[in-house]
Amino acid sequence: MAEITATINGRQVKAKEGMTILEAALESGIDIPTLCHRPELVPIGACRICVVEVEGSRTLVGSCHTPIAGGMVIHTHSDKVLATRRMIIELLLASHCGSCYMCDKANICELRKIAADLEVGLPRFQMRKNYYALEDISPYIVRDLTKCIMCRRCARACREVAGHNVFGIAYRGFDTKVVVDFDQPIDKEVCRDCGVCISFCPTGALGKPREAKEEKRGKPLIITS
Amino acid sequence: MPEKRVVLANCGVIDPEDIATYINRDGFKALKKALKLKAEPVIGEIKASGLRGRGGAGFPCGLKWDLARKAQGDEKYVICNADEGEVGTFKDRYILENDPFSLIEGIAIAGHAIGAKKAYIYLRAEYRFLLGLLEGAIAQTKKMGFLEHLDIEVRLGAGAYVCGEESALMDSIEGKRGEVRYRPPFPPTKGLWGKPTIINNVETLMNIPRIVLKGAEWFSGMGTEKSKGTKVFSVSGDVAKPGVYELVLGSSLKGLVEDLARAKKVQAVQVGGATGKIIPYSMMDTPLSFETILGAGAVTVFNESRDIIDIVYRTMEFLAEESCGKCAPCREGTEAMAGILERFSRGEGLEKDITVLGELADTMMLASMCGLGQAAPIPVMDSLQHFRGAYDNRIRQS
Repeated sequence: MAEITATINGRQVKAKEGMTILEAALESGIDIPTLCHRPELVPIGACRICVVEVEGSRTLVGSCHTPIAGGMVIHTHSDKVLATRRMIIELLLASHCGSCYMCDKANICELRKIAADLEVGLPRFQMRKNYYALEDISPYIVRDLTKCIMCRRCARACREVAGHNVFGIAYRGFDTKVVVDFDQPIDKEVCRDCGVCISFCPTGALGKPREAKEEKRGKPLIITS
Repeated sequence: MPEKRVVLANCGVIDPEDIATYINRDGFKALKKALKLKAEPVIGEIKASGLRGRGGAGFPCGLKWDLARKAQGDEKYVICNADEGEVGTFKDRYILENDPFSLIEGIAIAGHAIGAKKAYIYLRAEYRFLLGLLEGAIAQTKKMGFLEHLDIEVRLGAGAYVCGEESALMDSIEGKRGEVRYRPPFPPTKGLWGKPTIINNVETLMNIPRIVLKGAEWFSGMGTEKSKGTKVFSVSGDVAKPGVYELVLGSSLKGLVEDLARAKKVQAVQVGGATGKIIPYSMMDTPLSFETILGAGAVTVFNESRDIIDIVYRTMEFLAEESCGKCAPCREGTEAMAGILERFSRGEGLEKDITVLGELADTMMLASMCGLGQAAPIPVMDSLQHFRGAYDNRIRQS
């Protein structure tokens, strides 16, 4: 693997050929927010939160899937990039159900955390929300697709990490949805208790059935400054 | 303004069900010539001609072929994109109905040039009625011994707009859900089933036999500096004579719409389909070329009785419906825009909505994964620029 040099935020950075921009940035201590990406999974580039500016490119590029090349001049936190990230989060929040008070995973929710980091407040526009019935017939997993942001981590983790293929994607546009079989509620016949997808879900869409007296996980998210 | 028939030269002249009529008009001479040559001179000729992709993006055709030829791979593929899904285009249908042999010849030359043994024609589901004709034409060509180096298979789409986008199209051929892939890697290095692939529009491939036979110099003699050759336009909307017209690139939009298609009292023209630019009447002198406006050659004319916000709203609703749902800016952005435009169409828009529309447009153009999301805000932004008054009239007075 040949070593290459690129410029990230005005700093010379060394990276190995074949690395993605995200990996190179993380290795040199530059943090790029991600939502659909996990290092354990094959990148998909669906959420577009990790976009960065590469000089000479017409559009912003997804850093989780674009390989870094020698001589690239990259800006990870320019005004353009931040405005874009904020708008994507605003869009995701606008169509999100917003029941954080009631949500078991509110304190460990990655969407909330990124929204707080990027200082995104209440969305400025109204949007249709996808409300789906709670799927709680399985003793191992509860699915609340109303809270799903379509990062597809569950589907990929199920296939790539757990080695199963329980989830599929159905419908299109705004109605796109992670489904089980032909859009059936998830039950113990198709999915056992491996729970891999639950740990990968960034929001409260996937969770374990709640036990009596169980408290919310994580510390309350307090926004300082 | 006269038409110039290069791509459509055989349309209406030959019998699309009889290969003999095509051979009488110099059919398959270009293929014979190309097969005698090695791959490099053929690609060199296409490069020299300056032919650019006719599907909308305008990527140099010769360069694409060269990349695919040089790419490592035990198998390579040629795909002909006949998924003419763009709103208001029907040129490929006209071509396929009237001259399927030129297309097959073009595909055969492309296969020879990049070293492919397999080619696919991706036909949109709505064109199923052309399947018999196309397969008949392939069978006749095979029988004549012109397809010994290449196997051509027709694949039907399943009715998704986004499958006209090259990476979604490849997913669809692979039997998956038609969804875009991120790039790089680009198809010439890693395409169908991970193998080097070229994807060309029907019209691009129609030009190939002409260029190989008559030479690059003849071809590059037509058109403007960066847009060589001719372009087939599908004209529809408020015109007296809708239809397919072929013009030399660089011809004026006004000539096409008013002189050839006989439109009257034009308010605006949308060039390039659902995600195309909206040109007001005052800018109708714009030449049609890759430098200015072109797209896939859809020209939709709206007269003064049409409501521009209604047009833009319906377009956005369509795009929201057809978004593949993979990336967030497009999936959520088209839906949000459709919602805002719906309010405007009811006369209940808000002042701040216009700012939000601008910001949404920037985000979608910069961050979406494919052309659908990147181009979806174009008609909205154009209408805001040229028809701002229409929006101001619809802001709720309270």
